Order: sequence, then structure tokens, then C-alpha cells
Amino acid sequence: MIEVCDLCKAFTVRERRSTFALRASTRNVVAVDRVSFTAHDGEVTGLLGPNGAGKTTTLRMLSTLLTPDAGQARIDGADVASEQPRVRRSLGVLGDAKGLYWRLSARENIAYFGRLHGLAAPQAARRADQLIDELGLAALAERPTQGFSQGERMKVAIARALVHNPQTVLLDEPTNGLDIMATRSMRELIRGLRAAGKCVLFSSHIMQEVAALCDRIVIIDRGRVVFNGTPSEILAASGKRSLEDAFVQLIGSEEGLFA
Amino acid sequence: MTTVVEPTVATIHPTPKAADFSWARWLVVTQKEFTDLLRDRKSIFWALFAVAISGPLMVGLMYWLTTAVMDRVDKLTVPIVNAQFAPDLVRTIERQGMKIDADPPDYESRVKSGELDFALVVDTDFTESLAAGRPARITLITERSRDRSAPLAGRVSSVLNAWANQMGRERLILRGVSPVLAHPVQVEELDLATPEQRGSRLLQFMSFYALFAGLMGAIAAALDVTAGERERQTLEPLLTTPVTTLELTLGKWLAVTGINLIAVTTSLLGFVLSLHLVPLDRLGLPFTFGLAEYAGFMAVLTPFACMVPAVLLAFGAAGKTAKEAQSSLQMGVSLIGLLPLMSMVRQTRAPWWDAWVPVNGQYAVLNKVLRAETIATHEWAAMLAIPALIGVVALYALSRRLGDERMLAGR
Ligand SMILES: Nc1ncnc2c1ncn2[C@@H]1O[C@H](COP(=O)(O)OP(=O)(O)O)[C@@H](O)[C@H]1O
Ligand SMILES: [Mg+2]
Repeated sequence: MIEVCDLCKAFTVRERRSTFALRASTRNVVAVDRVSFTAHDGEVTGLLGPNGAGKTTTLRMLSTLLTPDAGQARIDGADVASEQPRVRRSLGVLGDAKGLYWRLSARENIAYFGRLHGLAAPQAARRADQLIDELGLAALAERPTQGFSQGERMKVAIARALVHNPQTVLLDEPTNGLDIMATRSMRELIRGLRAAGKCVLFSSHIMQEVAALCDRIVIIDRGRVVFNGTPSEILAASGKRSLEDAFVQLIGSEEGLFA
Repeated sequence: MTTVVEPTVATIHPTPKAADFSWARWLVVTQKEFTDLLRDRKSIFWALFAVAISGPLMVGLMYWLTTAVMDRVDKLTVPIVNAQFAPDLVRTIERQGMKIDADPPDYESRVKSGELDFALVVDTDFTESLAAGRPARITLITERSRDRSAPLAGRVSSVLNAWANQMGRERLILRGVSPVLAHPVQVEELDLATPEQRGSRLLQFMSFYALFAGLMGAIAAALDVTAGERERQTLEPLLTTPVTTLELTLGKWLAVTGINLIAVTTSLLGFVLSLHLVPLDRLGLPFTFGLAEYAGFMAVLTPFACMVPAVLLAFGAAGKTAKEAQSSLQMGVSLIGLLPLMSMVRQTRAPWWDAWVPVNGQYAVLNKVLRAETIATHEWAAMLAIPALIGVVALYALSRRLGDERMLAGR
């Protein structure tokens, strides 16, 4: 379970007014502003918002990469700021950065993360084999990942995030850049995780993506939660017939929410 | 629906980093980085290869240059204009095993152009002047600034001087004067360069080269595991696992150090092997680079080769991209490369603190090893303490930097 309460994060960005400006001025960018929500086990929770809404920043705070400025977040009761090791052990993260080691094979990439999560070498190898089978990577398993297609890379990155069989899974735009077939198999995978009783939180800027999968939707815009509830609650609250219209009404623009 | 988590009282316990450290994970990181690096055929593998063969190449070049000079000195032909006026001189020269090239045409322009290394011109009144006790003149025409002519001209001029002095002494004795009177002060040149030292002069380059191998071996690897990690966007996923920045830092350091030690060892081995193949005694250098010297070199270079990766890694992590890091690294490396050059050209004795300057200190001690001089305990201490200190500081900086939020996602 993920519990998020009034989470805040601002960045200081340095700007140079012109090429010849001697001093860069600093500006505060509020990326996440008092975000609160809860994601339950056995459910898929979608974090929906246009580009720059603060989805990635929120997920980075949950995965202990960034320290929150204010507020709290707990993963199965463990605080993300003060109990990093516990949080990291229980989380599987497919973050914004999904880079692989080019010179290592798909299998080695996956097994390496298994070892870092504390699996012994034979255990990590067995788990890597299992995931390679499940994700249909068998034909590529021994190849260096350098020449992989976008979809193949995404699969390896997902397998790497799931290698230690985490209870809570964070996925940042997991279908970004994938073709229709790869998107479908990603959806299958997410449904499988839900069926296994995992807590899945995934972010997307594409409405259809979220509508197709989520039990619960958190809509954020400019760092703030503008709606939080089930799809039927969204329809009821907005008085619209379709989710699409409801989203547009809640965010106040159509920009960036449609694929 | 919004679930609110009860705000707990501000009891944030920063996680104790030291307690989280896991030796097993450290080794896992090391092993992964090492395999990953060795698979980088393009840069790492070829860097190792280049470092390994440049030693033998240098020895070969040195050997070839020295033998070429010696051959020319041995087979020296002396061009003499008006040789008929100085038959004694001709005989003396011939007795030295040199050939005479009598009356070469266009000698001045040929010396200038380098076709002749030098020429001797005997004045036409040489015989009369000599007999009359007037100064008799022989002119040595040469172009001293030309490196390859200088040793030949020097050889002939010393033969001439010896001959002239001999003649002078004989005349004084004939007149009943002791030759000592004519030379009240005897200036004698005592060359402190023993044959060993002369040999090691040439091989000072070897110290320089060995240090350089300790630098070059690590550059590509250090770049790959730091800036490369950021460029490939693999740092962020890594930091969501239980691995700590200290484990990452030490793992990367150990892997790059491994590569660097391979570079140093193979480069030295290449040197040793080629020195054994080349007949050094033929060059008049009773020079040995035996087991003792090899051990001495490794004793100096091992701490150095452990320090360098730490420093390079700290630099490498500073750049956002591999390219950016590379340029800052290159500057650092060329500055380091200049340090021993400074002590090579320095005319005065090295100040006492020179031994404690990294690179310079190593260079000085390596030279001592080559000259078979005893190395003081405090010098050995410096060889260990300075790299250890610098290495620890650099690794600390790197581990801080890896944990820094700004390192993420290439921002
Ligand atoms: N490391 C950072 N430094 C400065 N600004 C940042 C940083 N990360 C995110 N931001 C800013 O915070 C806001 C939210 O970004 P992000 O969380 O990436 O949005 P999303 O993932 O929803 O597209 C954006 O305005 C972005 O420019
Ligand atoms: Mg994002």
C-alpha cells in the first residue's frame, strides 16, 4: 500500500537571461504541491496528468531518489525519507530513466539487479530465466542489449524492476514509445500484477491508457491533485457521460491528454 | 477519496549509512563493472593493448637510434682539405681507425646542407708555420646545431686536440721545460655518470612512461563507469535498489583500479621483456632491469595506480555527459603529465617537499630505483600515504556526488 500525504517538492533552477548575462538568476519551480492519495494492494492506481504535471517527481520521491521538501509518503508503512533501505527492498521501480547496460545481455542486466536486491547468484539466475520466459524475451536473452528495439528495452527494464518480486510496483509512463502490440502486452502484464495482489501505481499522460486499466485514478495538474477517485466517481462528479469529457473538464484543457 | 496519513512528530532518523554497507553488494558491483569494462573492446581493450606495446616500441626505437649513432662514429670518414700539408695529422687520424677523404669538392656548401657532417681545412702554410713555431691553423667546419653531426664533429675535434697537446708537450720537453709549467692548472673532467647512471638517463623515460601508463590505463574506464552511467540513464534505476552510494563508489573504484593495474603490469612486463631481448651491452650500457627493479617499480606504482582511478572517477562524475567529463579529464591528465617534465628540466636540486608532491615524488623514487640508490623510509612512507590520502578524499567526494539529487536523469 502507498500512502501519500501533502507531499511537496520544489526545484531551484538557474536561468541566464541572455547569453551575455554575467550572473544567472535562480527561480523556484514548484513541481509537486501538497499531493495526497492512497494506492491499495490488488489495485491499479493511475497517475494521470499532462507533461510537466509532476508525475515523475512524485514517483521519484516515492522511490527514494528525491527527498520531499514537506509532507510524507509511506510504502507499506515505511517512510520514504527516513526508512530508505526498507522502502527500496519492497519497491519495484520502472522510473523515468529506463537505461540498460549496453554491453551486458538481457539476462545479465536482469540478474545484476537481482543480486543488488540481495538474491544469491543461482537464485537471481533462476528468477531472470523465469521473467525472460514470461515476457517472451527468450530469443534475445543472451544478446547485448545495445541493438534492442524500444519495446524490447522496455521489457528488459520491467523484468529488471520485478526481479525481486516486489509487493509495490511503480511504473513511470510504461507504454511511452511502444507500438500497439507492445502496449497490449504491457497492459496484460499490469493486469497480471494486479491479479497477483500487487499494489501498482503507474503514471501516464494518455487518458485511454489510464481508463483501460485503472481501478483508481489520481489526476494531477501543475503539481496539484485535481481529482482522486474511481472512474465512476469521476463521471458522477463531473456530470459527463464519458471519461474523456470528464478529464477535459477537470483539467480545463485538452492539451496533452490524448494519444 | 483522500486518505490522510497521520503526520507523525518530526522524528526523522536519517538512515545510518555505515550500517547499510554490504560487502557482498560491493563485490557484486565490482564484478559487474569489471566484466562490463572488459567487454568494451573499442576503448578499454585497445587502450590496454596500446599501453602494452608502446614499451617494446620505445626500447626498439632507442636501440635503433643509439646503434645508428655508434655505427656512424665507428665508420667515420674524415674529409680533409689540403691533407698533403699535414701528413702527421693524417697518420694520427688513420691510426684511430678512421678513413680520409682528401680534398672534398664544395665542402662548405655540403657541410651546410648536411651531406657532410664536418670538414677539416688545413692552411696552405701549415707545414712552414709548424716548423717555424708559428701558430699553424686547422679549421673545423661544422654545423653544431645539427644533432646528428655534433657527436661526429666532437669525436674528430677531440682527436685533433689530443694530437696538438701531445705535440706541444714534446716541444716543451725538447726545450728542457716541464710540460706542467705550461698547464699550471689541470682541469680534469670526472664524469659522475657511471655506466649505470648513463644507462638510466636514457631510461628516465621509462619512469615517465610507467607513470603515464598508470594514468592512461584508467581514463577510458573511469569515464565509462561515471559519465557513461549518466549518459545511458542507468544511475536512476540503480539508486532505486538497496545498493548504497558507498558500495557503488567502491565497486566502481575497484573495477577501474583492476583495469589500471593490468595496464601498469603489462606495460612494465613489455618493457622488461624487450629489454631482455635487446643486447644492451652492445650499447655500452651495463643496465639491468631485473627482478629487484621490477619489484621496486611495482611497489611505487601500485599505490599510485590505486589513487589515479579515484581521482579520475571524481572528475568523471562531474560531467553531465561523457564528452563533457572527457574534456575536463583530459586537461587534468595533461597537467599531471607536465609535472615530471618540470623536474626533468629543472637545473637546481629538487626541494625537500618534492617527494610529497604526487606524480613528482613517484617520478623521483622510480628514478632512484633505476639508479640502484637506496630509498629512505620517509620516501616509502610518502609513496603510500599521499596516494591513500588523495584516494580517500576523492572517493568520499564521488560517493557524495552519486547520492546528489542533481545527478539524476542528466539534469
Ligand atoms: N531535476 C529538476 N530540476 C528542475 N526542475 C525540474 C526537475 N525535475 C522536474 N522539474 C520540473 O518540475 C515540473 C514537473 O516535472 P515532472 O515531474 O517531470 O513532470 P511529468 O513527469 O508529469 O511530466 C516540470 O516543470 C519540470 O520542469
Ligand atoms: Mg514524466
